Amino acid sequence: MDNKENILSEYIDDLNREKKPENDCYGADPELARLCETVKAVKTLKEPALPEEGYAHRLAQKVALEMAQSSREELNEKGAVRLNKRNRTARRKPVRPGWLLPAATALAACVLIFAMFVSRPGIFHTDVALAMQQAVGQLSSYHGVLEMRSHNEAGQEWLVRQVELWSEGDKYAIKQSDGTLTVNNGRQKWQLRPQKQEVALLPLLPDPARQGFDLRDEAARALSYPHQVVGSEVIAGRQASKMRISPPGGLEYYLWVDKETDLPIQLQTAMQNALQTTYTFVSFEANTQIDPGIFDYQLPPGFKVADSDPGQIVSTVEEAAEISGFIPLLPEESPSRILAFASRIVLDYGDTTIVEKVAQGVFEPAANSALGTAAGGPLEVWGESLRWRQDGIEIQVSGAQRAALAAQIAPGLALPEASRDLAGQARVKVAVDMDIVKADQQQADRGSSPWQLDPLQVSLTFVNLKVSPEGIVGEPQIGAASFKTAINNGVQAVVEVSAGPVSKVYLKRLVRQDETGIWSVVGYDPR
Amino acid sequence: MITAEHLRKAAQGESRSIEHICLELWEPLYGFIYYRVQNREEAEDITQDTFVRTLTYCQRHNTQPDNIQAFMKMVALNIIRDGWRQKQRQGKLISFEEAKPLETVAADEQKTIAERMQIENALTQLKPDQKAVLDLRILKGYSVAETAKMLGKSAAAVRVTQYRALQALAQMLDEHD
Repeated sequence: MDNKENILSEYIDDLNREKKPENDCYGADPELARLCETVKAVKTLKEPALPEEGYAHRLAQKVALEMAQSSREELNEKGAVRLNKRNRTARRKPVRPGWLLPAATALAACVLIFAMFVSRPGIFHTDVALAMQQAVGQLSSYHGVLEMRSHNEAGQEWLVRQVELWSEGDKYAIKQSDGTLTVNNGRQKWQLRPQKQEVALLPLLPDPARQGFDLRDEAARALSYPHQVVGSEVIAGRQASKMRISPPGGLEYYLWVDKETDLPIQLQTAMQNALQTTYTFVSFEANTQIDPGIFDYQLPPGFKVADSDPGQIVSTVEEAAEISGFIPLLPEESPSRILAFASRIVLDYGDTTIVEKVAQGVFEPAANSALGTAAGGPLEVWGESLRWRQDGIEIQVSGAQRAALAAQIAPGLALPEASRDLAGQARVKVAVDMDIVKADQQQADRGSSPWQLDPLQVSLTFVNLKVSPEGIVGEPQIGAASFKTAINNGVQAVVEVSAGPVSKVYLKRLVRQDETGIWSVVGYDPR
Repeated sequence: MITAEHLRKAAQGESRSIEHICLELWEPLYGFIYYRVQNREEAEDITQDTFVRTLTYCQRHNTQPDNIQAFMKMVALNIIRDGWRQKQRQGKLISFEEAKPLETVAADEQKTIAERMQIENALTQLKPDQKAVLDLRILKGYSVAETAKMLGKSAAAVRVTQYRALQALAQMLDEHD
């Protein structure tokens, strides 16, 4: 563009695209500058272009993050470390973040990676912290390959998965090793399944990828994590600083930061449940040019659409009710987005999602869930999710704010008390051989005997073996209908039995106290 | 409703208070900024920067302005004017300490209403082909190629007409000032 007509025309095109003009005329010819101002003046007659849905929440998160960074910068300035003017400008540039990784586990890892970007200095190695701040401040897009490996206490290691990632602003695409490609472009989400020759249109919400990983939320959360540089290692062929992070009340884990790019390249979780997982960017290109076509929805020739109800974003609850055919129950806090489907409504709170639908059939909590109470009935507590029924609606709240939001819908909601000793109440104690229990747990981990994850099934087996010590042949004498979970706090459970020689069975998760832990009978009450 | 307590906590970095303040105040502030920059990308960035600078100011001076909305608009104006100054344009910065936010912003609001009326009036005085080009290019957002097709002109002719139309319009607005 070398003449004024063209410069002015391009200026108009930029404003029409709602972009900051590349050439804003100000440094140039005064007349051109005046004409650019006149273009803006004319455009004021048009309605302003509003930000995309959820802007206010994203704004709040970015502001919180900036405030945190600002405090840290001030602390550093009080010490001898000062950012130069150029670096300040780079950091100040509003972050359009988004490191979005595929599976929930991988995402969890990256949550930690990004959390690290904003850690409090003083405890952390100052130079590395500052460099990371600047690196993340300048990260607007990336393309990389992430490898996830696990190893157990016995020292065995295996590759869990490898995924290719593209991220730009709020958009992301994730390609699994089988070719499955999941894309979220902020307006649509879909999954391309080459093996089935189909494209599944997915609801924008809930989006476990986004929920599992959000720089702004996690950054704010991680502010108080102490960390320390503990060494230097070569990771994926690159020199990296190794840092130990100690979350308050949590287990220590490690992060490696590339010495050249100042971006994290590897994270290793703590050993939990005899498993430790390492996430490594075996390749990573920051601020790279990403083919915009990857975020465009197109049905490839020969592919069919597998799901035709991806829902639609609506502005009001009334609109959602009209589409979904019922009025949802709402917490006091307003959602940032509402998504309506033919038979359900999804409320988005950034890191937490509420899904509501009309209750149908009998409410059956998942067999291996803990139980609390909500709205006078049972509350299923499973992982990071709460589910219950209220006024004919089934409500599921998943994410970080689940307890607070659920309590706003169902006042008096009570979560299970994991510290309560239930097993101690058993009239007859059952001795447990921990070697056998550990072996059973390993068996369940390999996918065998999944019934051990269900306290009802474990109780059924225990009671029927009391009746038929020689073994259960065919249908058990005391059927499943006689067993009912009275209490399940996630660690201990009591199952009531309406028939046979036992009235109550007391169980415990002895090896692992989460959804993957098997149940063992530790006592019972004879009838 | 923003209370002094919200501001105090937000200035200390408390995320819930920051969220409350952002949810309450973003829309009028964004509109105010958009009016001046006329593009969403810059308006979003300046809105974010305005919140951060306002809260940082509250934190450093341990104060909570009485009229936070007016105060933030003043901060936004400073950010915009700061951008102009960096590009050798005029734009006087307003000192936080000396400023009277209500007066500053109110004066600016009145000015924008008057400006809008002047622009509408000036547009009616352009030649028909000039008015048509500005209408299609700026108000309706068509590309040069689309505008050229609709008006039966070449792309080059559209660019020239557009340039002259804006010159004429700027002249009229300057005369009015």
